[in-house]
This record gives sequence, structure tokens and C-alpha cells, in this order.
Amino acid sequence: MSARDENLGEMLARRGFSRRALLKFSIAMTSSLALPPGLAPAMAENLAQARRQSVIWLSFQECTGCLETLLRSASPTIASLIFDFISLDYQESLMAAAGGAAELTLRQAVAANKGKYLLAIDGSVPVADGGVYSLTGGKSNVSMLQEFAPDAAAILAIGSCAAYGGIPKAYPNPTGAVGVEDVIANKPIVNIPGCPPIPEVLSGVLVYFVSFGKLPELDDKKRPLAYFGTTIHDQCYRRPFYDQGKFAKSFDDEGARQGWCLFELGCKGPTTHNACASVKWNENTSFPIESGHGCLGCSEPDFWDAPGGFYTSLAGADGPGWEAAGIAAAAGVALGAAAAFRARRK
Amino acid sequence: MKPFDFLADDALVDALLMEAADLLQNLTAHQQQGRIDLLGLPLSPACLASLEARLGQGEVTATLRAAGQSVIRETAFPGLWWTRHEDEAGRVVGLLIEVTEVPDILRASKPDMEHGHRRLLAASHFSVAG
Repeated sequence: MSARDENLGEMLARRGFSRRALLKFSIAMTSSLALPPGLAPAMAENLAQARRQSVIWLSFQECTGCLETLLRSASPTIASLIFDFISLDYQESLMAAAGGAAELTLRQAVAANKGKYLLAIDGSVPVADGGVYSLTGGKSNVSMLQEFAPDAAAILAIGSCAAYGGIPKAYPNPTGAVGVEDVIANKPIVNIPGCPPIPEVLSGVLVYFVSFGKLPELDDKKRPLAYFGTTIHDQCYRRPFYDQGKFAKSFDDEGARQGWCLFELGCKGPTTHNACASVKWNENTSFPIESGHGCLGCSEPDFWDAPGGFYTSLAGADGPGWEAAGIAAAAGVALGAAAAFRARRK
Repeated sequence: MKPFDFLADDALVDALLMEAADLLQNLTAHQQQGRIDLLGLPLSPACLASLEARLGQGEVTATLRAAGQSVIRETAFPGLWWTRHEDEAGRVVGLLIEVTEVPDILRASKPDMEHGHRRLLAASHFSVAG
């Protein structure tokens, strides 16, 4: 049997992972995806039997940061092996083929997996002037999206640019950049925003799709609810300081050294939905707030053009809304503290 | 500073113990397994410590080394297991109360046993030939 024909259970066994390891991974994934824990054995069995999922990845108006973050993994975890297991049938930056050979590969992959492939997009879609501002092989991004979306099982819009237009859409937006959902209708779309997005969120979506043959539950912005259901603020380990009214006033004052809340320094955690504070980055090492900088809100639509800029408090230049802080303390302390606990768990 | 101490709420722990008791009754009456995902609940470290202490220590403790370390520990109440899974980096990725005779993850799976059987035969053949 060739490696291409094996199922995931066989591939993991070849790499030295037992079924116990796969069950353990499924237990972690059901918890991560907020699924009933009783689903873990079924997920493990479904994953073990899963065949390679075809993914066709098109890069549009982007910086390659999304791809970089998804490729970086320090250890061969099962989650990282999920990326190895998918059949990445087309990705311009990674594939050896170029030119006509690459185009032929794309056509063959689409034909062989019609109706079954996941179409992954990173980068925004420039639509101004007929889409001439970003071309691949002479074809505009928007025409490629319109050509390959109809035969996809679903579309994964990876990163804030693909999801909402991102930085290319920022004022004055000379290329007419938009997100995938502004171009494609009547096709399931999952937005995985972030600049860059969190790799574990993509692996969670892939695991769910491979396990159950459908997409996970989404919020009103088409983001996986399990990862984007709460704000950074509600998960933040500095949240108790917000509740106590302890704020850093500058990046080098005593409050900053004490690790107090960064709200007054412009942190967008209260309005930003993402899993940074719980999943973290770089093998669970840290996330921006833990490194001393407020959240920029990069997983929210139009974050680059948000009023006031990155260093203005959400309450305005005069500091935080104390009344709002008091209400939040009374109503949200249990959720915030518990989420913060989850963010802290080691 | 310990900002979460004020959440050490015996009522939460009592509620979880009652849920565990219901699940244990289900197991004994209907052979139906149950699980409580503690990572998905709003529990402070103090609550978790209190819960773990009140469940106590039973006769069995197993250590699993598969994609990181796991400790599967029977509580003082047979059929209730305290299961903690860590990933390769030592991060807690699963924390459960499992209600079952034996947690599934302790059982050897058929594919693993078949793989082990092949390795065992190969090892035997090697030792005979050698």
C-alpha cells in the first residue's frame, strides 16, 4: 500500500502513534471544539478510518504570513500531522511545479475531487478594474475564485484578508479588496480570521470536517463558534485587573511592570473574538497581551481602520468607562475568571 | 496575588459531585458510560483542587505515555476516574471525570494489538534465527 492510499490510522501507526494517542487527541479536540466528551471515541474511530481530504489552496492578495504560521510547528504532534495527512493538491508557494505544469495539476485535482475538495483561500480578492491587481497565470483572483468555488465542498477563508479583506481593504483600498464571502454566495464558507490565524483553529476545523463530514457550528461572522465564541477580554489572564480597576497607563510604568490591564493603552480585547488567550502561540508559549502589548483586534472585520487607532482606548482618549467596568465586574467575573483560568492552564 | 480564590465555591463542587453521582447510577443501572469535561466548565483552580480532593484517591493509578503524559486515577468512588491528559509540551489538553468500569484509553485497541503481534513474531523469528 502506498502512503497516499493509507488511512489516517495507518499513517499515524507508521509514524509511531498508537490508537491511544489518537483517542487522547480526540478527547482534546472535543474539548477544544466544545463538543460533548462522549463523542471522542467516535471521533477517534472516524479519524482512524479517514482517507486523505483533498485541499486546493489558492493564494490571492496576501503576504504569505498565514501560510507561514500554519507551516511552523516545533514538534510532530498529531495536530501537525493532520496537516501532513491532508492532500494539499495545489499550493503555489509550496509545490515544486510551476507554470503550465502547476496549472495542469490544479485542473487535474479539481476534476478528480469534484464536489469533495476543500477550497482554502488566503489573501483578499481585489475586484477593482476587473481584478487586474492580482493575477496568477494571467487569471485574476476573482475569476479563479468564481471558477473553482462551485465544485468545492466548502471554502475555508484563512486569515483576515480572505475573511474580510484585511489590510489590503484598509482605506483607501485602491485595489477594491474584499473578502471571499463578498464574492461567493450559496457555498458553505468558514472564516478563520486573524493576522495571522491560529494554526490550531484550522486544524480543529479540518479535524471536525474529516471526522463528521460537515463544518462546525459558526457564529454570525462565519467563524467557528468554539474558537470565536468569547472575546479575548473574557479569556484574558489580566481580566481580574480590569475588574479591579488596575490599568497600565504607559508601556513602562509601574502598572505595566505589574502586569495590569492594558485597556487604557488601546487593547481591543473586549471587542475581539479569537482564541489567542487560551490556545496562545508558538507551542502555547504566549500571546500579545502576555508579551505586554494590547490586542489589535486583528480577527475582527476592518480592524485596520477602526476609529482611534491601535493605541486609543475603546472608551476614548479619556480612559476607560468606569461604569462599564463595574458592570463587567459584576456580570462577567465568573466567565472571565474561568476563561482566564483556561488560558493559564499548563 | 491569587485573583481566583474568591471563586472557591463549594456549591459548584457539590453540583459536580451530584452530576457524577447521577452518572454513576446510570453506569450501575444501565451500563451507560459518562464523562464530565472539566476544561469546558468555568472552574477556578481552587474549585478544581477542592473537587479533586473531595473525590479522593482510589486503588488504581495509571500513567500513559502517548503523545504526552496522561494520568488516569481511580477516585475513592469505584467507577469514577480522574483523567488528566497533557500534550507533548506538558500543556493540559484534557481533564475529565470519567464514569466507567475502565476508561477506554487504558484498553489496548485491536489495530495496536495486531501491530504488536506482528512485531512480536518478527522479534521471535529474529531471536531464533540469530
